[in-house]
Amino acid sequence: MADYDAIVIGAGLGGLTTASLLSKNGFKTLVLEQSDIIGGCCSTYESQGYRFDVGASIVEILHPMERFFELMGKRREDYIELLPCDPIYSFITEDGRRFSYPTDVDETTKVIESIAPEDVEGWKKFASLGFEMIDRMMDAMMLSPMKTVPEAMRMVIKNPEAMRFLPLLMRTHQAVTRKYYRNPVIQSSVAFQSYFAGAPPEIGSGIFGFIALTEHLGIYYPRGGMISIPEGLARAGEEHGLEVRTGRKVEKILLDGRKARGVLLEDGSEITSDIVVSNVNAKVAYLKMVGPENLPRWAVKAISSYRHSMPCPMIYVGLDTKPDLEAHHTVVTGSIEAMNKVWNDYYTKDLIPSTAMSLICWPTEADPSLAPEGHHILNFLCNAPAPYAPLGDNWDRIKGWYREEAIKSLERVVLPGIRDHITYMEVSTPLDFERRLLSPQGSIYGLFSDMTSLALFRPHARSRVVDGLYLTGSSTHLGGGVPTTIASGIITSGYILKDRG
Amino acid sequence: MKNLKKALLLAGLLGMAAAYMAADDSTKRYIAHIGKQVPYLPYRYFI
Ligand SMILES: Cc1cc2nc3c(=O)[nH]c(=O)nc-3n(C[C@H](O)[C@H](O)[C@H](O)COP(=O)(O)OP(=O)(O)OC[C@H]3O[C@@H](n4cnc5c(N)ncnc54)[C@H](O)[C@@H]3O)c2cc1C
Repeated sequence: MADYDAIVIGAGLGGLTTASLLSKNGFKTLVLEQSDIIGGCCSTYESQGYRFDVGASIVEILHPMERFFELMGKRREDYIELLPCDPIYSFITEDGRRFSYPTDVDETTKVIESIAPEDVEGWKKFASLGFEMIDRMMDAMMLSPMKTVPEAMRMVIKNPEAMRFLPLLMRTHQAVTRKYYRNPVIQSSVAFQSYFAGAPPEIGSGIFGFIALTEHLGIYYPRGGMISIPEGLARAGEEHGLEVRTGRKVEKILLDGRKARGVLLEDGSEITSDIVVSNVNAKVAYLKMVGPENLPRWAVKAISSYRHSMPCPMIYVGLDTKPDLEAHHTVVTGSIEAMNKVWNDYYTKDLIPSTAMSLICWPTEADPSLAPEGHHILNFLCNAPAPYAPLGDNWDRIKGWYREEAIKSLERVVLPGIRDHITYMEVSTPLDFERRLLSPQGSIYGLFSDMTSLALFRPHARSRVVDGLYLTGSSTHLGGGVPTTIASGIITSGYILKDRG
Repeated sequence: MKNLKKALLLAGLLGMAAAYMAADDSTKRYIAHIGKQVPYLPYRYFI
């Protein structure tokens, strides 16, 4: 008799969603998390009275989260309090021009009109098609398994309108942006979102451009920090007997032939279960935990062919003053060409970009309780994406230099004189992300996402090579993001319930 | 018939080459990026 009905490796959003849903359905389920805190990339840590978010800084597209609580038979409001953030983001051009996009669509039209009247028509068309897609397709797009041709066909048969939107998957983010907008400032103020999916506008899929429109349905910050989301998911499961153990690193997935039979922990102990769910990077799950020696050659070739998503250094800052910002998120970028250049001339050549491409997040705007009274915090990504091994160097060695460059860049473009108000500062480099979350090369969204590594071409949530092994999280269909990984957990638990329920 | 098929194939390939040559640098990079991934797609589908 196995120790548990299901073991989940990793307490990220995908892992906790799967685990809680299994618990609710009567499975004796255990989550093993190597870190001392849960949530993975969507978490919060405390230092010197400040509470900083590890990675994710906002949640949009509430649909999967609401569906999770519905499936659990609970009310989301009883577990996670979401604070609306409006404006959605403030945009700063490299030459210092500033404007903000409000949640309200008509107000956004006015903003666009004031900058580029020629783009109002394009924005209206973009928004009308986008909202139609969101209205009709959200459930199908977010919550349907889409790994096999029959699954994809089933989705299209049930939602014939999908045929109108699927070509967007094939087009690039920049092609879609340029189709609707002519003004270069407006173009870059939306095209940067391609990097939110982990790719530059010339490679990122055009469908993400439309998904970004969901921000106009509202973006939210959870009270207490981003960790409130995984805590809410876990608490809902714990009420049904879910067990979550932190500080427990899994080394190996134990096999009986090609069948999962449990896990081996770092301390040498074994825990058995016929169902093992991996919430870790799929390359790690297959190539390290299962081991290439236990896989057919084609499977080793398949999983080795994926690239990791980009890493990004994060900077956490405590301030003794209120920063002069207009929104929860402030974005600084140049033109579409400059964004592509960051990728082609810097990132892929292992160089740290020198351009001021940054995302500044101001969580205390929504929730002042994250800092001592009168203080604020900023989490920011700067000169990003930056490579894992800049010119073969080591991030530990260049951390001090990077921190100084980041502050200079913040002062130059966004917050002059802010240096004098910094009371706390820490940099989490790609190497730190790798150490803290065991995410290989510090990748922030699991595997790279483009049309050749999404949907039919992303690792399957139900392993086809190891019986009883399931995958969830950013390495599976839909890729990285808070709503997408919660959705992946719903999909993965759906497979398990179908197979073993 | 065989010759016609060959001619059509050649014309197709030439057309694609001409379209590639006429594309801007950004599109060329995109095509090159996707081209490099295509051989892996059959493997990725099954994993
Ligand atoms: C810097 C950054 C900014 C982001 N910003 C946003 C944002 O604003 N909005 C948004 O929607 N998304 C954002 N994301 C993406 C989003 O946070 C992630 O895609 C999502 O949280 C990943 O969830 P996951 O289920 O894949 O698990 P992960 O977060 O990858 O968690 C995996 C867990 O597995 C654990 N683990 C790893 N190896 C082992 C092992 N051997 N044994 C036991 N446990 C193990 C790790 O410690 C970790 O807790 C951001 C991500 C980062 C990194």
